[in-house]
Amino acid sequence: MTREALLVRTLVELADNLVDDFDVIDVLTVLSDRCVEVLDVDSAGVMLVAPGGELQVVASSSDAMRGLELFELQTNEGPCVDCFISGKPIVNLELTALDDRWPRFAHRAVADGFHSVHALPMHLRSVTVGALNMFRVAAGSLHEEDVLVAQALADVATIAIIQHRSSVSAAVLNSQLSEALNSRIIIEQAKGKVSEASGLDMERSFQRIRNHARNHNLRLTELARGIAEGTTSIVGLDPLPRSPGVRAISSNPWSGPQQRPTPQEPSA
Amino acid sequence: MTLPEDRTARILKELASHEDDHTGTLVLCEVAAEITGASGASIMLLSEDVARGSLCTTDGVAVYLDDLQFALGEGPSLDAHASGEPVIEPDLATPSVTRWPALAPSAVRAGIRAVFAFPLRIGAVRLGAVTLFRDAPGALDDTQYADALAVAVVAARTILTLQADAPPGSVAAELEEGANFHFVVHQAAGMVSIQLNMSVTEALVRLRAHAFLSDRSIDDISRDVVDRRLRLDAERPGGMGGGTTPTTDG
Repeated sequence: MTREALLVRTLVELADNLVDDFDVIDVLTVLSDRCVEVLDVDSAGVMLVAPGGELQVVASSSDAMRGLELFELQTNEGPCVDCFISGKPIVNLELTALDDRWPRFAHRAVADGFHSVHALPMHLRSVTVGALNMFRVAAGSLHEEDVLVAQALADVATIAIIQHRSSVSAAVLNSQLSEALNSRIIIEQAKGKVSEASGLDMERSFQRIRNHARNHNLRLTELARGIAEGTTSIVGLDPLPRSPGVRAISSNPWSGPQQRPTPQEPSA
Repeated sequence: MTLPEDRTARILKELASHEDDHTGTLVLCEVAAEITGASGASIMLLSEDVARGSLCTTDGVAVYLDDLQFALGEGPSLDAHASGEPVIEPDLATPSVTRWPALAPSAVRAGIRAVFAFPLRIGAVRLGAVTLFRDAPGALDDTQYADALAVAVVAARTILTLQADAPPGSVAAELEEGANFHFVVHQAAGMVSIQLNMSVTEALVRLRAHAFLSDRSIDDISRDVVDRRLRLDAERPGGMGGGTTPTTDG
């Protein structure tokens, strides 16, 4: 399989896992395994922050990697820990040169045969949920493109994790989105009816609907629905209080019968 | 010509960088078009088989295609959403099966020669469709087809993730940015319902018919209504129009 095909398969594989009842560990195991297959790294692993705020090792491509990651957490030093705290990527750090920064971790990692380490944050907007670790046996830099691809794979996995943690199902989110759009549409339709019936512009029509809802302790969407469906009288809406500088549309290019400002409308 | 792996890396990078910026969902559309070699793409939200509007469009042709679908109530995005399956038409001008009789001729005139729509779905949950089009006839190859499916799943999940952060009862700001939910059409429908003394639903049908017959976009027609440059009762002597009063539904 070409690298291109493997990348697409990985993306599909990660995406396929983003169904309602996926297992976070499965997704992250796919992520760390594919990083080793697709990228020029020898081991990969993922740490996630637990609800209490502490990092946990969730997936590793090898036992050696897992042991090293656990060691990072015990000593509270190493690339994954730093990456998680800063939210910034750590790439291409040569381990022998790092004794000052992570003396215990570097000693152990070199003993395990790793000479170059990389850690990428797993974040969405300002929320960092963990970090992806990648270790290389050989010294030397990871190709810039490999870093971009690894970050992209990590980001797709992050979306899955955040979604999972929100514990809100796709069905609920979708109906919330649909309801929110419906409410907006009904309000726009009500604004149009009030505007035509009372000669106000859209902004003032909205203010009139909102004002009436407030005065009568009604929910805006419910009042708008009544207006849009014709069950709530438009002339029965409370008039807007006078507001200096804002006035109703006082004339209309058509001299038809539609223009009949009701007495309670503010006049120009 | 770039190497295939450059392309994939760039696509993945674009998808990744999208999470950090605040340019709405446009990147999803651009990635969908780029990964599949399409001329352009759109992402349409639908609910109960009714088009709500476009989350993003890559260019004017994509806007035109989505506006046609919204105004006519037919098209590949609606079919993909309704069926939950991809809808493929590699030759819109001389299709093997005739569908979208109102939409197809206009779309072909606008230079759309092939369309491919993929449902936005997560399990049984359906949000809408990613629709790709080409300015020349021709099918997607296997890789492009697989890529389009992958982008559709990522897009669906991204949309819901963005919506998860929205305040109760509102649409996430990231989803509204660059989107066209045709709010002006609904304002105009409210006005026309008073002008013609009919329900808002009937007024929407009237606006759609007017747009189709005058060969203008329903948004343009509606803007004219809202700005009081156009009344639908004034144009149909002896028709449904005529006098309306502000108190008809009172």
